[in-house]
Amino acid sequence: MGIVTGSPAAGPLLEHLFRRQAGRMLAHFTRLLGPAHLSLAEDAVQESMLRALQTWPNTGVPENAAAWLFRTAHNVAIDALRRNRLLGEKTDSLVAELSRSAIVLPGDPDSEEQLRDDELRMIILCCHPALSRDASVSLSLKTVGGFSVREIARAFLADEAAIAQRLVRAKRQLRESSLTFEMPRGAELQDRLVSVLDVLYFMFNEGYAAHEGEMLIRQDLCLEALRLGRLVASSSISTPRVDALVSLMALQAARLPARVDDSGNLVQLEFQDRTRWDWNLIALGYQYFDRSMVGDDVSEYHLQAAIAATHARAPDPHSVDWPVILSLYDQLLALNSSPVVALNRAVALSKVQGAEQALVVIDRLDRDPKLGDYHLLMAVRGHLLEEVGRKGEAAACFRAALALPCSEPERRFLKRKLAESAY
Amino acid sequence: MSQYVLLLHSDPKSWAAMSPDEMQKAVEKFMAWSKKPFTVGGKRLADDAGRVMRGSNGQTRTTDGPYSESKEVVGGFFIIEAANYEEAVERCQDHPTLEYGGSLEIRQIWGS
Repeated sequence: MGIVTGSPAAGPLLEHLFRRQAGRMLAHFTRLLGPAHLSLAEDAVQESMLRALQTWPNTGVPENAAAWLFRTAHNVAIDALRRNRLLGEKTDSLVAELSRSAIVLPGDPDSEEQLRDDELRMIILCCHPALSRDASVSLSLKTVGGFSVREIARAFLADEAAIAQRLVRAKRQLRESSLTFEMPRGAELQDRLVSVLDVLYFMFNEGYAAHEGEMLIRQDLCLEALRLGRLVASSSISTPRVDALVSLMALQAARLPARVDDSGNLVQLEFQDRTRWDWNLIALGYQYFDRSMVGDDVSEYHLQAAIAATHARAPDPHSVDWPVILSLYDQLLALNSSPVVALNRAVALSKVQGAEQALVVIDRLDRDPKLGDYHLLMAVRGHLLEEVGRKGEAAACFRAALALPCSEPERRFLKRKLAESAY
Repeated sequence: MSQYVLLLHSDPKSWAAMSPDEMQKAVEKFMAWSKKPFTVGGKRLADDAGRVMRGSNGQTRTTDGPYSESKEVVGGFFIIEAANYEEAVERCQDHPTLEYGGSLEIRQIWGS
C-alpha cells in the first residue's frame, strides 16, 4: 500500500502526561514571549496537542513524547508570530529566541532545571497582588496546572462562563500592568510568597471541601496544590513556612481515600479506616514537618500541620493526644481569632474537658454573626448535646443545620445524625 | 475483502476548549482504534483547507480548498478492510471521531 507508516508504538501514555507538559510548555513560552502574550502561548500549546492527536495514531507515540510536544508547540508559535507579525519589530528577535530555545528537551537535567524555574515564576506571576485570590487560583490552575475552564468550573462548582470571564480579566490585567516574568526580590518576594501560599492553601481547601460528586477532579485539585507547594519548597526562595504548608497538605491529602465510604457517605475522622490512609503521603508530611521546624517561625500552617500530624500519629482513634491538640488550637486561636478556629478548638476541648465545657464555648460562638449560616456550628453543637444525653435539643440542632447551605454528602450525614438522635 | 477509505471530518474549533487531560484521552482512543486488526493504514492531512484546481476551456483556476465556507475540514484518513459497506459501517460504529462530534465519510477503494 505504501501508506502504512509503521505500527503505532504499544504502551499507554504516562498518566497526566499532557497536563504536566502543557503547564511546563506554557511557563516556558511565557518566559520567552512575556506574560502579555499568554494567549498566543496557550494557542501554541493547544495546537501541539491537537497535532499529536492527528499524528500519533498513524506514526505511533514518539520516543520522547514530551519533547515532541515542545518542538511542535515551538514551530506553531513561530509560524503564528511570522504570520501575524503580532509584535511588530520585536517579531524577528522573538522568532530568533524561539528558534534558539527549540532544543529544550524534557528529561535532560539542564532543561529540567530551567523548566522548574519557569514553572516557579509562572506561579509567582499568577499570584501577583494585582489579581484577586479567586483569579490567582483559576489562573494558576489554567496555566501551570493544565486544567481546562470546564474542569476548573467543575472543581469550584461554578459556572463555566464565569470562570472563563475571570480568566479573560486576569489575563488582561497581566497585559495591562505590563508585568514581567522576572522573579521579584527582597521584601517584594517575601510578600509574594505569602500570597502564593495563600493561593495554594485555598486551592487545596477547595479540593478538600466535602462536595458531592466530581471526587476525582477535586482530588486532582488537592494533589496539584501539593505538587506546586513542593515545587516552591524545592526552590531557592523557600522558607520553613512553605515546608509547613506542604506538610499540612500532604497529611490532609493522605486522608482523602478514607473520607468517603463505598456508598459515598462522609466518614468522620474518628471512624475512618486508617488502613485506607495514604501512608506515603503521611511519611512525606512528617518529612516536610521536620524541615519546617528550622528557624523560629511558627505560622498557622505550622500549627495546623502539627494538629494533622498528631492525628496521624495516633495508632487508633482512642489514643489521639487531645491535650496536645487543644494546646495547638490555643496557639492557633492566638494567631487567628476566627470563629471557625474557635469551633474546632471547642471540639478538642470536649475531648479533654468534656462536652459540657465545650458547650459553654459553643454557646458564646453561637452569637457570632460570622457563623450565622455555618452549618457545622449547629452540627458540632448537636453532636455535643447528644453526648450529654440532651437528645431533643440535639435533634433540633441537626434540623437547624440541615436548613443551612451544605453539600449533599454533609446533608446525608446530618440526616443520619438526626434520625439517631430523634428516636 | 475490500478496502475502504474513512475520511475524517471535524471542526478544529471543537478541540480548542478541551483540557490536556481530555486531549490525551482522545489521543489514546484514536491510537487504540488505529490498532484494530482491520485497519490497514492512515495519514494525517495538513491543517489548511488545501487547494482546489479546476480546468475549463483550457484554463486552470486554482482556489483555496473547498472548506473555506464550512466549519468542518478533513483532518486525515484511515483505510480499513471490510467485506462490504454494511460491515465497514459496523466496524466504524465506535470510531472516536464520532464520539467527538465529527463525521466519517466512508468510500470503497475501487477494485480492492
